[in-house]
Amino acid sequence: MSAIRKLIAVWAAKAASVAGRIVGKKSSSSPGVLALKICPNLISLLAKNVTKGVIVTCGTNGKTTTNNLLNSSLKKYGFTTVCNTLGANMIGGIATAFAQACNIFGAFKADYAVLEVDEASARRVFKHIKPNYMLITNLFRDQLDRYGEIDITVDLLNEAIDMADGVKLILNGDDPLTARFGEGRDAVYFGISEQVLPPSDETKEGRFCLKCGEEQEYNYFHYSQLGDYYCPHCGNKRPEIDFAATDVDLSESMKFTVRGKRIDVNYRGFYNIYNILAVYAALNTIGVKTDNFNEILSDYKPQIGRMELIPMGGKPFILNLAKNPAGFNQAIQTVLLDKRPKDVIVAINDLANDGRDVSWLWDVDFDKLAEANLKQLITTGIRMYDISLRFKYADVKFDLITEDMKFALSRCFNNKEAEVCYVLVNYTALYPTQTAMLEYQKEVGAALPPSESNRNGGALSAG
Amino acid sequence: MRDNGKFEINIIHLYPDLLNLYGDRGNIACMEKRLEWRGITANVRQCTNKDSDIDLTGADIIFVGGGSDREQEIVCSRLLKMKDELKAYVNSGGVLVAVCGGYQLLGKYYKTALTKIEGLDILDIYTDSGDTRLISNVVLECDRFDMPIVGFENHAGRTYLGEGVTPLGKVLFGNGNTGDSGYEGVIYKNVIATYLHGPLLPKNPQLCDYILARALERKYPGFEGLEPLDDGLEELANKYIVGKYVGKA
Repeated sequence: MSAIRKLIAVWAAKAASVAGRIVGKKSSSSPGVLALKICPNLISLLAKNVTKGVIVTCGTNGKTTTNNLLNSSLKKYGFTTVCNTLGANMIGGIATAFAQACNIFGAFKADYAVLEVDEASARRVFKHIKPNYMLITNLFRDQLDRYGEIDITVDLLNEAIDMADGVKLILNGDDPLTARFGEGRDAVYFGISEQVLPPSDETKEGRFCLKCGEEQEYNYFHYSQLGDYYCPHCGNKRPEIDFAATDVDLSESMKFTVRGKRIDVNYRGFYNIYNILAVYAALNTIGVKTDNFNEILSDYKPQIGRMELIPMGGKPFILNLAKNPAGFNQAIQTVLLDKRPKDVIVAINDLANDGRDVSWLWDVDFDKLAEANLKQLITTGIRMYDISLRFKYADVKFDLITEDMKFALSRCFNNKEAEVCYVLVNYTALYPTQTAMLEYQKEVGAALPPSESNRNGGALSAG
Repeated sequence: MRDNGKFEINIIHLYPDLLNLYGDRGNIACMEKRLEWRGITANVRQCTNKDSDIDLTGADIIFVGGGSDREQEIVCSRLLKMKDELKAYVNSGGVLVAVCGGYQLLGKYYKTALTKIEGLDILDIYTDSGDTRLISNVVLECDRFDMPIVGFENHAGRTYLGEGVTPLGKVLFGNGNTGDSGYEGVIYKNVIATYLHGPLLPKNPQLCDYILARALERKYPGFEGLEPLDDGLEELANKYIVGKYVGKA
């Protein structure tokens, strides 16, 4: 009976995915939700076909990038995988990934399942499939109305980890909130083991010692709460780092050394060091040889909206997704590193997947955009008045509020004073913005000098 | 513009390092800018966990925000040491704005499943924690202002009001103090306490100006009131929330 249910569920999910594509819907979660209605234990039935191990990636920022990069590395090293590459990371998205991997007889074989899992969904997912390895990137404030407070996320993850007997943890050791999951458990840590960025006064998330509540100090500090932390009061400190990045050089491409290997890739954004380190640590922990790692990194094609270059008639437009203060602050820092005269469009939505609360906008250091050599600043999205208000009270002059993304794009395309345009969006604004950009690109053509394409190629984001 | 150069307001932000959830620092920016735009000097002093003693001398507005339970407990233990001083400040008409965790700790106590945290006993209120978090956009009707107050609540605490205090507003949308009382926040003397983030003040310019005016009147007897500012954008942001959750006025 369950074999037939399984088969019908797989067919239903496949049919729903095809139907979704025909009507242009990009949701990769609903086919799986449908399949689970037909066969509630579909995931655990199909998980039996995974032979070598299940790897789960959690964490606030960088989990899609990290998980997809890990997946594509494993494939390059000759393994077969099942992976929710589109970032649908609740139970429906995971069911979709498994159903898609099946042939029409409901069968597949994979060496590894490489799954990105939403922190709040981890307990639900682990009832169906238990990870052998679990990678946690970091914990920042995100979508607060869904998660409550960050302490709740920590509790949820602790319960999930306890459900996965014998799991090996791969943790960001620079993040006190994440590193703590390793206490009394089997864990390895990755981290950046030197001062790289200039000091900043941004909001620190977990600046108080998790053990005694006193304020932590840092030997050096990267961003948010990440760095070489220690508590002068009780002695709690950053764990010993197993995979440490040193000799970091961000002047042109991104270079650093980990376990004697020199990484050299054409990525942007400091946070990408963490994404690469996490993948490197995971591959080594699983026991996969990391030969030709630089080539594998260069071949990786990032998902949409991660500092994605969409040229418009010879002018570079760069689309970036950020979902929370840490992600937006990192995006702003990347914009500031680009010294060219520029236009910036910011689009903010407040749909369920964004979090209905937009108060986090006030935790982003938007005032720094005043030093970004701005020629035009345009606000849009459902909460365009809120983001405009944020700029008003930060003394950053904005030029236009509009509901019409295409109009915003045309204003930037026609602005001769600016050489580049950054389009910064939050989650549900991403797909409509990308669609509008590609449509506008069709009207004006792409054409960009090859030097520019190289410069932006292979960029990843924290989102 | 009137010559406001002689006016000066001192704002104390209590424990921004501990209580800094949900963009509450935007409230400070809002008060600061709305004074500056009228030519009034605004001095903001941040009192952090590193300061061993907090001196309230010269304070015209005190702001305290919200934090996680853990951080709130630290703040509570610090503030209890200056309980009498804070009480005297409030009783003499001092302006105090408290959001979320800051609101709860002004009461008699905050009881969670595990502990009972003693409050500052400045407001005749107490808070019990509920089983669920009350999370929602909020719209309030408030007699003092024509614009509804809008914000975002996210709290497990249920706050019960005693005889001596009045609610800030009537809930038109959202949960409010307890989820079923129909009211939100507290107004008592010159204390405004509420669960509303958003942050609270930028989308509620009338409330912000009310707070600023109380502080100016207290410091400068005979103060003639604040001149209006261009609040077109603030009104649009406010109207968006009201229109979406309550319907067009």
